[in-house]
Amino acid sequence: MPTISFSHADLQTLLGRSASLPDIEAWLPLVKGELKDYLSSTGELRVELQDSNRPDLWCVEGIARQIRIALTNTPPVYPFWSTKGRIKRRVLVLPETESVRPYIAACGAVGYQVTEAGLTQLIQTQEKLAEIFGRKRQTVSIGIYRLSPLAFPLTYGLVKPTEVRFTPLGFSEKMTLEEILAVHPKGVEYGHILSGHEKFPLFWDKEGQILSFPPIINSRDIGEVRVGDTDLLLEVTGTDLRMVLLTLNILATNLADRGASIEPVDVVYPYATEVGTIVRTPFNIARPQRVRASEIERALGMALGTEAIEAALRSYGHHVKATRHTLSVTPPPYRDDLMHAVDVAEDVAISRGYDAFQPLMPTQFTVGALSQIEQLSDQIRTLMIGFGFQEIFSNILMARDELIERMRLTESEHEAVVEVANPLSLSYACLRSAILPCLLRVEATSPRAFYPHKLFEIGEVASPDPRAELGSETKTHLALLLASATANFSEIHAVLDVLLYYLLKTYRLEPIVHPSYLEGRVGQIVYEGQAIGVIGELHPEVLEAWQITMPIAAVELHCDKLISPA
Amino acid sequence: MDLTTIETLHPLEIKVLLALAQKDAPQTDSDLVQSTGLEPSQISMALGWLQTKSLVRLESETVIPIVSLTEVGFRYLQESSPPEWILRQIEEAHHRHVRLTVQALQTQSPFPPNALSRAIGLLKKEGSVQLAPGGSLEATGLPSSLCQQLRAVLQQLGESSRPLEAFPPAIQSLIKLYAVKRGNTNEPFRIEDRTIRAYLLTDQGRTLAEHVHAMPKEEVSQLTPEMLKDGSWRNYRFRKYTITLRPPRLAIGRRHPYREFLDVVKIKLISMGFQEMRGPLVETEFWNMDALFMPQFHPARAIHDVYFVKHPTHATSSPEPFLSRVAAVHEHGGETGSRGWRYRYDKSRAQRLILRSQGTAVSARTLASNPRIPGKYFSIARCFRYDQVDATHATDFFQVEGIVLGEDIHFRTLLGLLQLFATEMAQAQEIRVFPAYFPFTEPSVELHVRHPKLGWMELGGAGLFRPEVTIPLGVHVPVIAWGLGLDRMAMVALGIHDIRDLFTADLEAIRTMRGQFP
Repeated sequence: MPTISFSHADLQTLLGRSASLPDIEAWLPLVKGELKDYLSSTGELRVELQDSNRPDLWCVEGIARQIRIALTNTPPVYPFWSTKGRIKRRVLVLPETESVRPYIAACGAVGYQVTEAGLTQLIQTQEKLAEIFGRKRQTVSIGIYRLSPLAFPLTYGLVKPTEVRFTPLGFSEKMTLEEILAVHPKGVEYGHILSGHEKFPLFWDKEGQILSFPPIINSRDIGEVRVGDTDLLLEVTGTDLRMVLLTLNILATNLADRGASIEPVDVVYPYATEVGTIVRTPFNIARPQRVRASEIERALGMALGTEAIEAALRSYGHHVKATRHTLSVTPPPYRDDLMHAVDVAEDVAISRGYDAFQPLMPTQFTVGALSQIEQLSDQIRTLMIGFGFQEIFSNILMARDELIERMRLTESEHEAVVEVANPLSLSYACLRSAILPCLLRVEATSPRAFYPHKLFEIGEVASPDPRAELGSETKTHLALLLASATANFSEIHAVLDVLLYYLLKTYRLEPIVHPSYLEGRVGQIVYEGQAIGVIGELHPEVLEAWQITMPIAAVELHCDKLISPA
Repeated sequence: MDLTTIETLHPLEIKVLLALAQKDAPQTDSDLVQSTGLEPSQISMALGWLQTKSLVRLESETVIPIVSLTEVGFRYLQESSPPEWILRQIEEAHHRHVRLTVQALQTQSPFPPNALSRAIGLLKKEGSVQLAPGGSLEATGLPSSLCQQLRAVLQQLGESSRPLEAFPPAIQSLIKLYAVKRGNTNEPFRIEDRTIRAYLLTDQGRTLAEHVHAMPKEEVSQLTPEMLKDGSWRNYRFRKYTITLRPPRLAIGRRHPYREFLDVVKIKLISMGFQEMRGPLVETEFWNMDALFMPQFHPARAIHDVYFVKHPTHATSSPEPFLSRVAAVHEHGGETGSRGWRYRYDKSRAQRLILRSQGTAVSARTLASNPRIPGKYFSIARCFRYDQVDATHATDFFQVEGIVLGEDIHFRTLLGLLQLFATEMAQAQEIRVFPAYFPFTEPSVELHVRHPKLGWMELGGAGLFRPEVTIPLGVHVPVIAWGLGLDRMAMVALGIHDIRDLFTADLEAIRTMRGQFP
């Protein structure tokens, strides 16, 4: 979720009124915003915006607009969505562009002299939209240029990596596209977007002046906007047409709110798009959505009536046509997030304010219950505590070495562990397949805690199983451990024996050989003909591997196997 | 007077106190050794304590000569003294009809010459030995009182040293004659000056002794099974303890404090009519995200946001019929009335295995498994986040989540449920709800409550599941989805500032960690 900063003064200018901090905090729910910070020295506010489907709100202009609509009850009217007739500015798209980055949208923004605040915000918005909404420029990237030096029509096409040279922003010498990808910080950062392509997108004008190398970098000559510039060209390229159009709509609306006059551009495609081959941008993507008033009322649990719903939607910026039972809702062109009637319902709730809804207790009767395995776990925990054992509670992502090597195991099929493909740290690279290693980690950490140590943990493990649908099964294990100078098999056996006695389970032990335990002092716990765990004295090499200098007797028990199938 | 002193008296002190009380006269250490049968060191220890308590005072200190045996003395005692030896030699010579000259005697003597000649002189003087003509020694037949006296003194001193004055004057001279002197250490007796201290009870001590005496019972520290079996406990007093001392520390069997907290949460939820649901730790992207209407291009689904499983990478079977329905919903809304996300849904990606990143995955599985309607479900699910571990981020942690299904579910009953959670989980009377965003709910709510101790805090998030979530999974009633963030309350209750400490491996920390949960 983006966090943006802007100045208190800029917000007030855009609101067209003064606004105290408490005012702002009271309005922020309208934009799902949370005030993170306020620097009284500079008047800077930092606001986190929660709604990832409302990129129009990730900027001070959008926030101010939403608040302004609520305060004035009048959505602003932007004339440029429906510019008719011939217009002179065009962008020609070349055919092969479709295979790399097919869409482009552009418009002029003239008559607004870029201020310091305006420029800062423009750059911030560009970055948030391209990074978060545009998935790190993958689907959407933005270029802003000085309009006056440009000769129309502009061309958006592909060139070979070494075919052209221009001076990118931040550099002083001309470079080929290949050099830019290799040397320029932005080329290094975003170059992967173009990997696998033999030709790269380029944006140039009638005179052959290069505007930019989308989605990597602008040219320094035309693509560097400064405070005081008045006429700009906004351009968005990308792989998703609706997202490209929406992004331009947001930028155009923002600049219009700052006083610019938006001048549309015709984009001429040699291939078909969802909205035709000649696309006049900014392009209004919003379509009316029909919802029944009853759907809204049902979702909100309140008989509001069509009129109240209509009023709420209007003061949230929607264009609404209502009949007795239905409403036709058209969102503003800078929004593309209404997917279902429930989205409309939420806008009604936000517009009216969540506080306007009286909470109502759900009344239908239901029976609470624990799962069978949780009931058994609780029963076992109660008994273990009665035996004087301290319960342990561990992280269950562990190092491979803790689960395998230190336990003197070799990874065979049945001793495998679920391993993470992309671990952040080798210490948290595997899901535990047994709980005993967690208890040994406690032992290794706690030689100074007075003895004896009697520990147990019951919880989930991931048990790899090639036949299982998920490649592993989540099981519940119990591990218990006794560490003291005299810890031995018979002592831990006594605990196991009385535990299973109270669980009403008849078991027997079978001698086995297990690498983690001393030979001749280890047994398999058998219940109803099934091996349900291991008991024994830990092998000194295991203790050495954990750097433990106290004898340990332990049990690992598979609790699921104690539950009889119903 | 303060009789409580009695209770603090050590058994040794009581024995000495009573011994002193038996006589009115002052008694010395050695008197007390005799009368109590204790070791001299025990006597002096007890006297020291009693003096400190002003129960006994030092009555007199006198310096007297004390006679004791030297090594030579002990040899005389075990073997013989020179006069005894001489008499025996004379007797043997007599039996063998041999004449025993002084010279012959001197050659056989084990004693220094001067000791031998002194003995001959004394024997002659008392008349038990005479010098016969020809220079040979003979017994006169008179008994030797010298020998008798020496033997008696040796035996007495062999038992213990004694004051010189304890002997009759004649014997005293004899002792002095045979005592070690400067220049002659080869003598049986040693006379040394020794300070003899005599003790007397103080008035306080006497009174106390009377009381002690009045208590017929011996003091013991431990009641034994034998005492109970034969009833002999009645004959004893039980020493009183200083009960204000710190007891020894115990390590007890105990629930883990964080589990204890989650147990409270669990019980609260059951008491509110919620049924527990469980799900696997290893999940498919389908249940973890797709079924929750998170588009496959969602920013939170990138490689850096979830843990992917290395092997196997994909589940073996596809979750039909849900997969096709969910795919349709993502692409164009399917039958839900939604327009969908409008992209090409990749069915193979749905099978990709990951570590469960949100508890809502468990809710999704429950929705698809024919849940009860009306129904309430909860899970306390271990989830995994792709975050660097630090004081506020754990690699795996618990999410408390759940759903409520029913015909009466809508935005206001959602708010009602949140109010219930506020009072039940945080004892908060005041709540605030804010618009929020979750991909799977609409409307979505963030719940803030005024905790009695922590003030305003975020308690959780909730919302009504989108129809795009419920309908493909076969649920046709509204469903509340809720999640609570309770770790902060747990950490405050346990006095923890680092989230890693909830799962610490430090046993000492676990043993000492405690907290009070509602």
